[in-house]
This record gives sequence, structure tokens and C-alpha cells, in this order.
Amino acid sequence: MAVYKKTYRPYDGALTPSFTRFLVIPRYAFEEMRKSRFLTIFFIASFINPLVCALIIYVQHNASALNLLGVQNAGRLISINTTFFMNFLGWQSMLALFLAAFTGPGQVSPDLANNALSLYLARPFSRVEYVLGKMWILIVLMSLMTWVPGLLLFMLQAYLEQGWTWMQANTSLAVGIFVGSWVWLLILALMALALSAWVKWKPAAGALMFGVFFVAAGFGVAINGVQRTRWGHLLNISALIGSIWVQLFGANPAENNGGMFFRMPQGQELPLWCCWTALGVLCLICLYMLTRKIRGMEVVR
Amino acid sequence: MNLWMRQIAGVLRLEMKKTFLSRRGWWVYFLALGPVFLTLGHWLIEIGTHGSGRHSLGEDSLVFAGLFHFYYLRLGIFFGCVGIFSNLFRGEMLEKTLHYYYLTPLRRELLVAGKYLAGLATALFLFVGSTAVSFLLIGRHFGAGYTDYILHGPGLSQLGSYVLVAALACIGYGAVFLMSGIFFRNPMIPAAVVMVWENLNPFLPTVLKKISVIFYLKNLCPVEIPIPPPFNVMVIDADPTPFWIAVPGLLVLSLILLIYSGLSARHTEISYGE
Repeated sequence: MAVYKKTYRPYDGALTPSFTRFLVIPRYAFEEMRKSRFLTIFFIASFINPLVCALIIYVQHNASALNLLGVQNAGRLISINTTFFMNFLGWQSMLALFLAAFTGPGQVSPDLANNALSLYLARPFSRVEYVLGKMWILIVLMSLMTWVPGLLLFMLQAYLEQGWTWMQANTSLAVGIFVGSWVWLLILALMALALSAWVKWKPAAGALMFGVFFVAAGFGVAINGVQRTRWGHLLNISALIGSIWVQLFGANPAENNGGMFFRMPQGQELPLWCCWTALGVLCLICLYMLTRKIRGMEVVR
Repeated sequence: MNLWMRQIAGVLRLEMKKTFLSRRGWWVYFLALGPVFLTLGHWLIEIGTHGSGRHSLGEDSLVFAGLFHFYYLRLGIFFGCVGIFSNLFRGEMLEKTLHYYYLTPLRRELLVAGKYLAGLATALFLFVGSTAVSFLLIGRHFGAGYTDYILHGPGLSQLGSYVLVAALACIGYGAVFLMSGIFFRNPMIPAAVVMVWENLNPFLPTVLKKISVIFYLKNLCPVEIPIPPPFNVMVIDADPTPFWIAVPGLLVLSLILLIYSGLSARHTEISYGE
């Protein structure tokens, strides 16, 4: 063909179905992440706690194992109940925060820093799909750390206890693990992407993740102390999540105030609707931040 | 020697121009100004309610001690120093401007010293200033009683101690995070490790307690804040370090870290491509 005839021709091959198109981003991102030794080790190490918990559940139901260890009364020492599962979720959720702080900032900032966003958006790929794809990376990784092992532990306990009967009696635990994890994962993923979009230096975005979580909580406690109030907890994401977990797990707020690292101090509880609203507002702020930054063009002044 | 001092002063001047109160560090200013606004709000609210006698001056003093222990030391100054000092070298690497310094006839140790002093000046201005202003504001609504507390009571000595501890925290954490900015591509990883270590301090065995900044600082604070239950049962008590060991000890530790950073900087090579 003559060179002058080689003009623009649109791609006429098969297109990826539109509802799975956002999965293209995670596919390449996971390959990239596998190269990081630190991340791999951290991710594998995050399964130590589920393994220990599984062992505890197994030993609890195995009289011969208890006899072998010489701790026949250990069954009374650790109960497999709401507190056990909430603490499990609390520990895993804290690890998920660390994972989000290490991997999240690297998701959007390189694309923005190198003006590469237009390369994505010039294709049949919307802004929503881009954000969804980037969120999916974090959500898959954090799901494997939180609700997936949580539900496996739940099923192990049900299998060793009374099977279906125990499961039916403790449905709220499964609901708590699943929905409670998703609430936390959505907030983390949105926050990580929003900060990644606004702070182009990855470590600074990671620091801000910790900052929003720990410093805001500390500042909330400071507000409570100085102003003699309890509304400072509205800035404490972990306390808000803890309150919501208590509701989702169907626990008694008088006896249980959340999971490990995610507790609302006793006697300082906020109305549940306030907790949901505060987290909703946080998500909306993150979405607004993403909408402002994820654009195919940027006006540089 | 005179040349060295002039060179350090030159780096300090340049760094101050670039970083002091720059827009990029907005979140560090927020960390420092947060408690100021909080105590200012407290003063205004209490004035508005005509000091309805909800609390005493002693309670406010205790609240400030809590604010200092749990906000300033563990969060504000810590993260502020991460932001200020990690950025001194790593920020230049990202902006691809570090080689301008490296091409000048300047010893790397002097560059480290100049940058550290610039970071320290910013940190001291922000956090020591914030501590002092917050302390002066928290009990302001008591009027003449608070002035009397400061001038004729224990207030002035408490203020001095808090200011000293805040300054030492900036010096100590500054040295740690300057070093991490030189050694690590992602200073967040060492920062997270240091944060976990510092927060675990009350529960560590006595020997390990001493390998931290917070251990020396806590003992210098005028008002002690106990660890709340249920964690108080896990606290391991250690003999408090006397003033004459804690202050020089922390300064020497910071100096050692700085010297090590300076010596390491001599062998650093730039590869912006990484």
C-alpha cells in the first residue's frame, strides 16, 4: 500500500465487554505488585493472624488436642464469639490500612504526574471505569486480608460446632464480617485514591493516609479533652467504624465497644446515624476530590 | 572553619527560602496550628459562657498535659518531622534538583548540616511556637488567675519544660527522619516502623525502652499522664532518666545520627531514573 494511503483507521478488532473493561487495570497492576518483595512478604505475613485464629478454633473443638497440650480448661479461656471475630477483623483491618497506605498512593499519582491519564481516557474507557479499576486493585487485596479469611473462620467454627444450626443462630457474625469489612474497604480505597490523586509524591500520600487516620483521631481526642465533649470522635475514623461494627455484628453496646484498634470509648458513644453520616461525608469528600482530579485534560496556570 | 560556617549559612538561607512556609507543607502547618485553634476556641467558648465553672485551672493543666503527650509528641511533632525532614533530600531527588547542590564545591557533610538546620528552624518555629501559644491560651479564660499561675505559680516552669521537650522532639525526630530521607526511597516505611516502636514504648522491657526518643522526652514532661486501662496492666515501669542524662543523651544521639548521615551522604550517587 502506498504510504499516502496509510491514513487513520479506527480499531476494528473485538472490544472487551464494557462491564469487565475496568478489570484491565488490575490485571497489569497485580503483575507490577508481584515484583515488590516487601509487599509480597507483608501480604503473606498478614495471613498469620487468620492461621492462628483457625488454630484456636480447631483446638477449642478438639478435646484430644487440649489434653495433649495439658490445657483442658482452655475452652473457657477464649470464647469464639462476637468479640473474637470483631478483634480478628480489627487486627486484619489495621493491616489493610498499612497495605492501602503502601500501595494506594502509587495508583493514581504516577498517571497524573506523567500526564498519562489522557492515554487511558482517549480509549473507550470512562473516568468511572478508571477509578473502579484502580479501586479494584486495593479492594481485592484487602478483601483477601479481611472478609475472606473472616468468613472462612466463620465456616470453620460452624463446621466444628453444630453446623447449620450454629450458622443460623450467628448470622449476624457473618453479616458483620462481610458488611463491616466492605464499609472499611470502601473508605480506605476511596481515601487512598483521593490522596493519591491530590498528592503526587507517593510517600507523602502514604503519610497523609496515616495522618488522616491517626492524627485526625488524636485531634478528635484532643477536642474531646479541651472542649469537654464527645463529638471529637467524629474525626476518629476507627471509633466510627467500631461503632458501626458493633451494630452490624449485633453486639450489645454495653458489653462490646468494637474490635481491636477500632473501638469507641465506653460512655462516649455517638448516635449511630452520626457515625454513618460522618463516614458518608468522608466518602463524598473523597469522591469530590477524585472528580476534580481525574480528568482527561488539565488546565495548568 | 569560617568557610564551612559560611557555606552552612548559605545552604540554610537557600533551604529556608525554598521550604519555610511554602504551600507544599500545608498539612504540616495544619498539624502545628490545630491545637492553637482548639485552645483558642476553648478560650472563646469559655468567655462566651462567662466561665460557668465547669472545670478548674488544675484540670486545664492536666488536659494540656494530655494534649502534649498524646497529640504533640506522638502525632503532631512526629508526623510534622516526617514531612519536613524526609523531604529535605528525597524531595530534591523527586524534583531532580539535588545534583545542583552536589555540583557545588561544598562538602556533603555541610550540605546535610545546612539542610538539617533549615528543617530544624522550621520545625522549632512551628511546633515550639504552637506548644507555647496553646499553653498560654488553654487557661486564658481564667483571666488574672491564669496570669498569676504562670508568673507566680508553676506555670512558667511547666511552659519551659513543654517548650524544651518540644524542641528536643524536633531535634531527635528530625535527625531520625533526615537519615531515613537519605537512606530510603520511600521514607514512609521507616516512619511507620519508628511510629510503631515509639508507641509500643510503655510496654517494652526496660532495656529496649531506652532505644527510643519518646522515653527520654516523657520523663522531662512536668505532668505525667498514665496509660488508660486496660493497657495499663501491660505497662513495664522503668526508672526515669535524670534530666542531666536525658537532655545531653538525646542531643548526643541526634548528633551521632547526623554525623552518620553526613558521612553516608559522601558516598551517595544520584540516579533520578529509579
